[in-house]
Amino acid sequence: MSFGKDYAEFGVGFAQENGVDYAEARLINGQRTILFLRNGVLFSGTQRPWLGIGFRVLKNGGLAFVSIDDLSKKTVKNAINHGIKMAKGSNPKERIDFGDLVSNEAKWAVATKEKLADVDTDTMLELILEMDKKAEDHGIKTRANIFEAQSFEKYIVTSEGTHITSESSMLKFYGILTAKGLLDTEQRWVDFTRSTGWEGTKTWIDQYDDACARLTKVATQADNTMTGKVDFVVGPEVVGIICHENCGHPSEGDRIWGREGAQAGESFWRDLTLGESRIGSKHVTVLEDPTIPGTGGYYEYDDEGVKARERILIQDGIINEPLLNREYGVKFGLRSNGASRSSDYNREPIIRMANTYMKPGDYTNIEELAEDVKKGIYMLSFTEWNIDDRRYQSKYVGFECYEIKNGEITDSMVRRPVMELTSIGLFSSIDAVTKDLVFDFSGICGKSDPGQGVPVYAGGGCIRMRDIKLG
Amino acid sequence: MSEQIEGYVDLSVETGQKLNVDLIIARGISNIENQVRFSQNKIDINKQWNSKMVELVVVVDENRLSISEFSPTSNESVKENVEATVKFTQNMAVNPFFQGVEETSSSYPEPAWLADTKIRDYHEKAPQDVNACIDAAISAGAVRVAGSYLFGEKKIYLKSSAGPSGSYTGTFYNFTVRAFQDELDASGQGFTCGRMPFKAEKAILAAGEQAGHFSKLHQGAKQARPGKYDLILSPAVAADLLGTIPGMANPLSIMMGISALGDKMGEKLGPEFISVEDNGLQPDGLRSSPFDFEGTPRQSTPIIKDGVLINFLHNTSTSKMAGGTSTGNSELVDFGSIGTKFLAPSPTNLVFNTGDHSFEELLEGTNAAIFVTCNWYTRFTSRISTEYSTIPRDAAFIVENGELGQPIKNFRISDNLLRQFANISGLEKDRIQIYWWQTPFPTWIGSVRVKDCRITTATQ
Repeated sequence: MSFGKDYAEFGVGFAQENGVDYAEARLINGQRTILFLRNGVLFSGTQRPWLGIGFRVLKNGGLAFVSIDDLSKKTVKNAINHGIKMAKGSNPKERIDFGDLVSNEAKWAVATKEKLADVDTDTMLELILEMDKKAEDHGIKTRANIFEAQSFEKYIVTSEGTHITSESSMLKFYGILTAKGLLDTEQRWVDFTRSTGWEGTKTWIDQYDDACARLTKVATQADNTMTGKVDFVVGPEVVGIICHENCGHPSEGDRIWGREGAQAGESFWRDLTLGESRIGSKHVTVLEDPTIPGTGGYYEYDDEGVKARERILIQDGIINEPLLNREYGVKFGLRSNGASRSSDYNREPIIRMANTYMKPGDYTNIEELAEDVKKGIYMLSFTEWNIDDRRYQSKYVGFECYEIKNGEITDSMVRRPVMELTSIGLFSSIDAVTKDLVFDFSGICGKSDPGQGVPVYAGGGCIRMRDIKLG
Repeated sequence: MSEQIEGYVDLSVETGQKLNVDLIIARGISNIENQVRFSQNKIDINKQWNSKMVELVVVVDENRLSISEFSPTSNESVKENVEATVKFTQNMAVNPFFQGVEETSSSYPEPAWLADTKIRDYHEKAPQDVNACIDAAISAGAVRVAGSYLFGEKKIYLKSSAGPSGSYTGTFYNFTVRAFQDELDASGQGFTCGRMPFKAEKAILAAGEQAGHFSKLHQGAKQARPGKYDLILSPAVAADLLGTIPGMANPLSIMMGISALGDKMGEKLGPEFISVEDNGLQPDGLRSSPFDFEGTPRQSTPIIKDGVLINFLHNTSTSKMAGGTSTGNSELVDFGSIGTKFLAPSPTNLVFNTGDHSFEELLEGTNAAIFVTCNWYTRFTSRISTEYSTIPRDAAFIVENGELGQPIKNFRISDNLLRQFANISGLEKDRIQIYWWQTPFPTWIGSVRVKDCRITTATQ
C-alpha cells in the first residue's frame, strides 16, 4: 500500500464512527517535474512531490469538504471533526442526497510503455530544446515553452465500500509563440496534453514543427479580409472547441440547476426539455467519452467511484443527456453518468467534461464538403474565443483560414474571420460532417471557485456551416 | 506563527547550507482557508483547506536554479526533500536570468490591518453573514441568489541563506454574490473583499443589495445593437479590462510574449489624469505583505504617472538586468494549471488614482453610451497589440439623458485595450478593491468612462 492510503481509510472509518451519512476520501500521491524555457534558455525547473487527501462528508443533508496535506492521524481526525461540524452547521434548506449506493472495487492505470519516473531530466530538457529549435528555425522570435511530467496514484475510498486505485501518467506541454505578422503580431498557444508515458512525446517535434510553420504562414500571408455571408468548412480543432463550449458546458447538470450561478454561470438548457428540444440540425450528434485511452480526459472511474461511460449530449440535433454526478443524478431523476472530477486532492469533485466531440458523419473529406460552396471560408484553427455564461452567445475568431471559391479551397489566406453566433444559430447551420474523427483540441478546462483546471480533449470530423454572416 | 513550520523552514535552510548550495530560500506557509458556497438561496457546501507547505528556491554551481515545494511531516521528510531538490538542481542548466537575490536583512513592521485576530472564530459566523446577504438580495428584488464566500488565515515564515528572514500573519475575505430573476438573463452581481472578516458584515449586505437591485432593474432587457458607444465601466469591469495594462508592466510577461508594454517605456498610454501604482503595502489590499519572496520590503511603485508608463515591476534579477533596483515584487509565480513556479516579478495591488467625477457625472455626455456592471471571458487575439473581446454578464443599460435607461443584453465588447486605455474620458472619485475570478490581481479602481468602444452581437 502506497503512503497515505491508510490515512484515507482511517478518515473514512473515523467519520463513520462519528455518525456521518456518507464519507469519502481521495488521496493523491505523486510527483511533478516541470521545465520552462524562454527562447531556448532554461528559465525555471521545478520538481515537487504531490501528496494530500480531500475528504467529503454528508451529515443531516449537509455537505462539507476538507483537505489536508500534512498527513497524520491527528490531522485526519481534526479534518473529519471539522467537516462534520461544517456539514451539520450548514443546516440546508434542501437535504443533499447522493442517491443509490455506489460500491465499486477496481484498479486501473494509464497504459505506459516508458514510465515518466524512468526518464531523466536531461532527456526531457533535450526534447524541449529540440522543439524550441524548430520554432527558432521558423523565425519565431518570442518563444515560451512549458513542459510538465506528472505521475501519480489516486486512491478513492468511501463509506459505501468503494475502493478504487488508479495510476496516472500525464504529459503537458504549452508553447506560447509570437511571430511578427504582415499587419500585426500573431500569437499561437500550442497544447500537447496527453495521458500517456514518455512514448507520447515521440510525435511532438513534428507536431511542433508543423504548428510553427502554420503560425509563420498565417503571420506572413493572411491578409484577405472577407465580409458578408459565407459558408464555413470547419476543421476538427474548431469543431472541438464548439462541442466543448456550446454543448459540453451547457449540458453540465450543476449549471443547469444553478449551482455554478455565481461562478461559471447557468445554462440555456435549463429552459429546454431533454429528449425533445431541438437546438441543431439532424446532422449534429455530440458525444462525451472519458474512456478513450491517451486523451487528456481519460479515466475509467470518476472521482465519486462511478464507472465511466460514453454520454450522448446531443442526438440528431436534440438535447439528450446532461453530464451528471451523484447529487445531480438524483435531482434530474436519473443516475450519475460518471462525470464527477476534481483537479486535485484539495478540490471538491464537481461535474466536468472529459473528451467531447462531434459524431462523425458520412462525407469523405473537406474537399467534398467544399465542392458546392460558392463563397466560403475553410477555418482550420481559431485564436480569440469566448462565450457567455449561459453558453448561448459565442464567438470564434479564425486563425489559419483559406478562402473557398466556387467549390475550391484556394491558397488565399483569410485574416481573422469572426464567427459570432448563438449556440442554436451555430448548430442549426450545420449540414454536413465528415466521417473521420480527430481530437485536435487538447486543453485545460476551467470551472468553479476556487478554480479547477482539468485536462480535456475535444474534436470531431470537419463540418460545413451554411449562410453565416461574418461578424 | 506555527513553531513547527518555522522549525521546518530553519531546518531546510540548514540542510541546504550543509550541502554547500550557493543559495537556499525557504518559505513556510501555514494556511487555513474556508469557503461557503451557495446557490438557489441556500448553502450548497462548506469547505476548509488545511495546508502546511515549504517552498524552496535552491541555487548551486554557477546559477543552476530550481524551485520545489513540499508538505513537511517530520524533520526527516524535510531533509529528504531538500536533498532531492539539491540533486535535481545540479541537473539543471545554468540560468542566465538569475542575477541574485536580496541580501540586506530588514525589520518588517506588521500593520495592524493585515490580520483579524479573531479569525479562528469566524467560521461560525460566516454562514449567518451568507444567509443575511441572501435575504438582503431578495429584499432588493432578487428571486434567486448564488455566491461564494472565501476567508481564511495565512502565516508566513521566510528565511534566506542570503540574509533576510521574517514572518507575518495575514487574514482575508473575498465575497461574490450574484442575484437572478426567474429568467436566466436578468441578473446582477456584487463584490466585497478585504482583510477583516469580522468587520465585513455591512459590506456583504451591501453587495447582496446591489446584486438584487441590478437583477431587478435588468428585467425586460432587450437585445443590444452593435456599433460605437461610450462605455461606463463599473469598478469590476474596469479592473478586469483597464487593470490589464499596468498588470503587463512585468518583465516576465514581456519575456513570455504576453505583454504589450515591452517597447512602450516612457510612452503616453492614457490621459494625464490617470496614474497607477503597484502598492505592496496598500491598507486592506489582499496581496499586501511586509516583504516579498526574497525578503525585500514591499513598497509602492508608480507604474503609470500622468498617463505615461514610467516603471516596470522588478525582483532582484530583473532589476539587475535592467540596471535598476528591485521594486519588492519578487514572487514564486504560478502559471495556469500547470505545476510550474517561476522566481519572477509579480504585481501586488494595482491602485488607480481617484478621479474627479461622481458616478452620475460619468453618465453625462452626448455620445450614445452603455453602463456595463460585470463581464467575463476576456480573451485576446494578440496580447502584444491587445485586440480582444469580453462578454458583459449581468445588468447593462443604455444611458439616456445622463441616467440609466433601457436594460440590454447579449453583446460583446470587441476592441483594443491599449486604444481603450488611451480613450479613458472620466474616472470616478471613489474607488474600491476588486478581486474575483475575472481579476488576477487586486485592483483598486472606481467606475470609468471610455469613449468610442466597439460593441458587437451575434449575427444569427
